[in-house]
Amino acid sequence: MNKPSTRQTILVYLLLAIVLIVFLTPIYIIASSSVKPTPIMFQKPPAMIFSPTWDHYIALFSDRPFARFIGNSLIVALGSTAFSLTFGSLAAYAISRIKHRRMGDVAFWILSMRMFPPIAVVVPYYIIFKTVGLLDTPLALIIIYSTVNIPLTTWLMKGFFDEVPTALEEAAAVDGHGLLSAFWHVTLPLAAPGLAVSAVFCFIFSWNEFIFALMLTGSNAQTATVAVMSFWSSDAVQWGRIMAGSLIIVIPGVIFVLTCQRWLVRGLTLGSVK
Amino acid sequence: MAYSRKRNRRIFLGFMVPAILVLFCTTIYPMIYAGYLSFRSYDLAKLFVPRVFVGWANYREVLSSSEFLHTLTVTFKLMLMTLSVQLVLGVGMALLVTQRLPGMGIIRTLLLIPMMISPVIVGLVWLFLYFPELGYLNYFLSFVGVSPVPWITSTQWALWAIAIADIWQWTPFVMMGTAAALTSLSQEPYETARIDGNSNWEVFWHVTLPQIKPVLISLMFLRAIDAFKIYDIIFVLTKGGPGDTTEVLSMFIYRQSFTFWRMGVGAAASFVSLAIIVILITLFFKSLSRDPQLA
Repeated sequence: MNKPSTRQTILVYLLLAIVLIVFLTPIYIIASSSVKPTPIMFQKPPAMIFSPTWDHYIALFSDRPFARFIGNSLIVALGSTAFSLTFGSLAAYAISRIKHRRMGDVAFWILSMRMFPPIAVVVPYYIIFKTVGLLDTPLALIIIYSTVNIPLTTWLMKGFFDEVPTALEEAAAVDGHGLLSAFWHVTLPLAAPGLAVSAVFCFIFSWNEFIFALMLTGSNAQTATVAVMSFWSSDAVQWGRIMAGSLIIVIPGVIFVLTCQRWLVRGLTLGSVK
Repeated sequence: MAYSRKRNRRIFLGFMVPAILVLFCTTIYPMIYAGYLSFRSYDLAKLFVPRVFVGWANYREVLSSSEFLHTLTVTFKLMLMTLSVQLVLGVGMALLVTQRLPGMGIIRTLLLIPMMISPVIVGLVWLFLYFPELGYLNYFLSFVGVSPVPWITSTQWALWAIAIADIWQWTPFVMMGTAAALTSLSQEPYETARIDGNSNWEVFWHVTLPQIKPVLISLMFLRAIDAFKIYDIIFVLTKGGPGDTTEVLSMFIYRQSFTFWRMGVGAAASFVSLAIIVILITLFFKSLSRDPQLA
């Protein structure tokens, strides 16, 4: 592509300014509304200068045990991430190293597991978890989220393992490393960016998930997304609290975007764009 | 040689066992169970009706009910609305952010943020914007001469209200994938095209577009699979209403199973939706393997 002329340059920046305003305004609204006093919440024109209030945050944590709900979200997200990274990267390594024409089918089968509509299996899950007494426990959510996260990790890590030359492992074998030892000491460190990006996606998916958390948890294992939604009822919408809770839930995603954007593209497109 | 290939293969297969076992227990088994349920009358609201085998009755009921067919229409309509806008806007934005100008890196990064936000939160912030009487969206639109739109309360606009929230969240995804494809294009055809005196538009249509087509197709299938599963945003914004104008397939399954407690009917509807998604997934994989560079 050639260098744009001055007029083109101005046009590009103008259009991008509009794009940025459209895509970032909702995020600004979450942040500003979370510290806006209730009386001016919907004031028009929107109050740009006001003295911020922490009331909504205080109410959020004192009305309901929101800290515990965040704790639940963290337990579920970290648990599912650890579980999925372990199983997913082992499977990915095998798929990457076994040279067999059916291996592609296995990989596709594993990936397809991630794409099924959650709503289609929520009924059997409900009945199964009810029978074994796992309803309303973090473990139930960890198990379910792993069905999405293991395929994702497997698929992403396979791409990263494919890029590690087998010659390095053969050299390690000559040095007396066994298969597991070579995997642990040679291959895995080289695929570390893959582990990081997989971890980010597993964490964010579990942290953001709503349907399963809504249907399979009650007061005990409720996660933050479900708790925020509970401030919305037909008679009174507590916007301040909703926005304060929303901002807390949004923060990890924003941090990940700003710190690992280089790898997110690959994760989001399931490696179909490198 | 100590490095025995046969033994290695057995160890590698062992590596796969845990993942496959977990996936079997957590996906295949519930699906088989759902299949079993779909042939039974499993009605939790009627405790004393025995849960008997009813053959294809649940499927017959689902496939012949006008409500189910309506939700299917709404699902595909929503898919068409979101995908077409996301494709056009996403490609347009990709063409902007791939210009060789300063600041493009940070702009691309900032535009990734919507995708990382929980769909429930996306629903909530758009509910705030759409809110009847109070929401800011109509206020902003009044500056460009648009008279107030009853976003979530009118049968005419509710589906667009949902589509806009989804478009806001996922257009950057199409942009990002397209931008990555654009930057990896070879430069040669462009120089030839320009020497031949083609306009920018002709170059885009005849040179760029055919080259990025495989990527665009993959991106569209990924979006279609997600659009088919859409639930959270609708749950927050309209809960399927007003009336049943925004009731999608997921909503139908949820209502049958957890509002009317008719698990058998819910399971049968789930299986019909699984069949549709299997077709989409197969097409997606076909689109991947057509281009060896991507698979």
